[in-house]
Parts: sequence; C-alpha cells; structure tokens
Amino acid sequence: MISLKKYAFRQFKKLETRAHELNYLFWECTTRCNLNCIHCGSDCAKDSAFKDMPLDDFLKAIDTIEDKAPNFTVVFTGGEPLLRNDLEQCGKELRKRGFRWSMVSNGHLYNRERHYSLLNAGMGALTISLDGLEASHNWMRNNSTSFQKVVNAIELAASATRLNFDVVTCVNQKNINELRQIKDLLVSKNVKAWRLFTIIPIGRAANNPDLQLSDKQFVELMDFIAEQRKAKDIDVKFSCEGYVGKYESLVRDSSFFCRAGINIGSVLIDGSISACPNIDRSFSQGNIYTDNFYEVWQKKFQPFRNRSWTKTGQCKSCREYNDCQGNGFHNWHGNKQNVLVCHHQKIEQGSV
Amino acid sequence: MKNNRIRNVLKGLSFTSAMFIFQACYGTPQDFGYDRLVEGQVTSETTGLPIKGIKVSVAGDNSYYVTTDDEGKFSFYSEKEENVLIGFEDIDGDENGAFRDLFKTVEDISESVYLEIALKDKL
Ligand code: SF4
Ligand code: SF4
Repeated sequence: MISLKKYAFRQFKKLETRAHELNYLFWECTTRCNLNCIHCGSDCAKDSAFKDMPLDDFLKAIDTIEDKAPNFTVVFTGGEPLLRNDLEQCGKELRKRGFRWSMVSNGHLYNRERHYSLLNAGMGALTISLDGLEASHNWMRNNSTSFQKVVNAIELAASATRLNFDVVTCVNQKNINELRQIKDLLVSKNVKAWRLFTIIPIGRAANNPDLQLSDKQFVELMDFIAEQRKAKDIDVKFSCEGYVGKYESLVRDSSFFCRAGINIGSVLIDGSISACPNIDRSFSQGNIYTDNFYEVWQKKFQPFRNRSWTKTGQCKSCREYNDCQGNGFHNWHGNKQNVLVCHHQKIEQGSV
Repeated sequence: MKNNRIRNVLKGLSFTSAMFIFQACYGTPQDFGYDRLVEGQVTSETTGLPIKGIKVSVAGDNSYYVTTDDEGKFSFYSEKEENVLIGFEDIDGDENGAFRDLFKTVEDISESVYLEIALKDKL
C-alpha cells in the first residue's frame, strides 16, 4: 500500500503534466564565457562559434505566448550572461511585456555598478555559483582570483532584499569536506538560500574522477543537507536533479518532480526549443527560426510529458519507478538506453 | 477552474509547499515580484519643457539612480514599499538649466507609478 501522500503527489504530477503551463523559460542568451571551468557541461568556450542571440529574435519567439502564466520568469543563462552589454535592455523589454526575469551567473563581472543597473532594469532573482572555499573554488573555476570576486558578488546580491537570491554549489571530491565552512561563510554574508547539486558525468566532467562523489559520499551529502535543514539559519536544499528515495522529504521542500517540458522550457543559443539547458540537445522540439515557439510548446514535448520511454535499462523493472519516472530528464544522454545516474541506487549502495 | 481546485487539494494532501516554487538545477529561484516600476517625466515649471540630466533616486540609497533623458523621461524598478521617497536632483550644474531639488513621496504600492514632476528654477 502506498501512502496517501505519495498517491496524492502522483496524481498532482499527472494534472500538472496535463496542464503543462509554461512559467519558467531559460534563455541561453550567450555561450561566451569568461572562465574555463573544469566541470563545464555545456559546449561553451571563450570564442564561441555562436554569436549572442539578438534580443529581437528572442522577443519575437516569446511574443507568440498566449495566456502567460503569473510569475512567468525568463532565466538568462549562458555561457556567462554578464558578458552581454545589453542585458539591462533585454530585462527591461521583458518587464514591459509582463515577464519577470532572473539570471544565473559565475559572479566574476558582478560589481556594484552592474548590480544596481540590473536591479534598476527589473531583475528579480539571481543565482551565483560558489564551488568551495578559496582553493577548491578556484580549482574548479580554473582561475586564481575567482573566489574573491564571487564572494564580493555574493555580498552585493545578498544586500538586496527585493532579489530572490541563492547560491549554488556543485559538490565534488574537493569540497565535500568543506560544506560546513562554506555554510558558515554564506551565513556570515547574509545569504538566505543555498542549493547543492552534483554533477552528471558528461562533457568535461565525465573523465574527471575528482568531480564525482562516491556512493558513500553521496549519502553523506544527503545527511548533511537533512541535518542543516533542521538548523534553519539558512534554507539549505538539494537541487531538483534526481529522486532520492528515503531522503525525499528530508532534503527538499517538496518531493521530486522533474518539470522539464512540463513547466520549464528553453530557447537555446541556436534557436532550438527545449527545456533545461543541461538536457541532451537531441531532445530539441523545434527552432524559433523556423517554428512558432508557443505552438511547439503546446503541441510537442511528448517525450517530456510522457516518460514511459524511460522504462528501459535499470529503470525497466525498478520498484521506485512511479515516484521517480526515470529520474531527472537531464540524466538521459547518448543512446538513452540507460539512465546515467540513479540517485536512489547511490543511496542504497552507499548506505550499507 | 475545477482542475485547479483538484490540483490544490492534491497539492495540500501531498504537503507540497503552498507556494508554487521550483528551480531547475542550473536555474534560479522564481521571481516573486518584490519590485515595481517607477517612471515618469521631469519638466521645468517655468517653461514646461523637459529637463535632461536630472538624477532620480530613491532617497536614502544613493546607489539606485538613473538620469532623465532628452525628453526628461526616466524609468527604473525599485522596492515595492509604502511611502518611498523619490529624489529629483539637478547634478549637472548649469548644463541643461539650473533647478531646485524636489522630493516626492510615493504612498501606494501598486505595480507601477508614473510621476509627472515640475521643477522650479534655482533662484
Ligand atoms: S532505476 Fe530508474 S526509475 Fe528506478 S530509482 Fe533509479 S533512476 Fe529512478
Ligand atoms: S531536467 Fe534536470 S534540471 Fe531540469 S527540471 Fe529535470 S531534474 Fe531539474
């Protein structure tokens, strides 16, 4: 017998999927980047082959959206969005149209002047990555000054009460033992929310053992988050990345639900229409340069809204399938014959 | 409508947090709109003509400011709070004329406000 809670949540997910209300849209507005992080899963490089997407092209695509959801947020992502000098103009145009906007940044170029001009342009949420204390952060970012810059950026962002701001940390071999100190640092900088995630073994991350957590370490991470959530001095949570079985109610505000293609969409650098940018690009559902964006959102996205195709490989006979449904969508790459990471399995194996 | 009701009941039963909050791993938290648009135009009380180069800011916080454009227009987003004091200051000396500073309290907390401001000449 499954619990009423589980049953209700499964039904809730079904209704959400049927309604598939778009309210969170990534815009990969540039693939240029000012850093060269060792874990970067995206295809960006300093001299990206792609030009930044002109604002007008993006606006034309989102102008097709009918019945815009309340709190619809456009998330600027990259590359590093701050490399675009017209970011403020992009933001203002979105606000004019009734969209809210936010940004994911490595913090390197986030100085006082930019902070205020972005707020003036209506930025409402911001995420900055901090990947450890000084040595481990700089190792990950491949840059000896990154830590200081990001800490300055975090201080600035945390000072703005109107910003829904959080820090994300990619947990790996080099920083797993520093988590308590990182938390103390964030609390001392007045940060209110901290999100932890792990890395999927694709791109540059696939061949670097330092980036992956062992099963035991993953359980340690779950225990750490569960313990810190009791303290309540900062809102610590595990990211949406995967189903974590017995830790579900302990490490997040609500149970696992991968909303890619259900509420989350994206316009990628080449115009592709998809969901989270870390999803295999072969799942693209159309292109803003050839298709009507909203029509694609409404009529396509079948693999996102019916995940039965993930019943393959180890997920095929899994007892957790109804609650996990093949884990986060971004865990399906390459030939898609098996899920890349099963968080549940990591927990089972790491708990013995 | 009916679907929404069912959805809320299910959400309640499954203890999903009341607010519809989520964020993708590589995304940001959702923006709940704690700011509002402040826009308007600054003109000369004497001539009725627009004034360029006036500093418009939320008083008490010198960091958030914009300057009026050729048409005397300005726009920026500020905290959505009651009784926000907005300052209009002539910071460019005699360039574009010389005007007295003015401070205006915006009482309501609506999504946007439009301010028409007439500045007096400096004596
Ligand atoms: S095997 Fe697949 S469905 Fe089962 S818990 Fe792992 S990822 Fe989820
Ligand atoms: S695809 Fe991954 S990042 Fe996107 S919502 Fe699903 S689990 Fe989260």
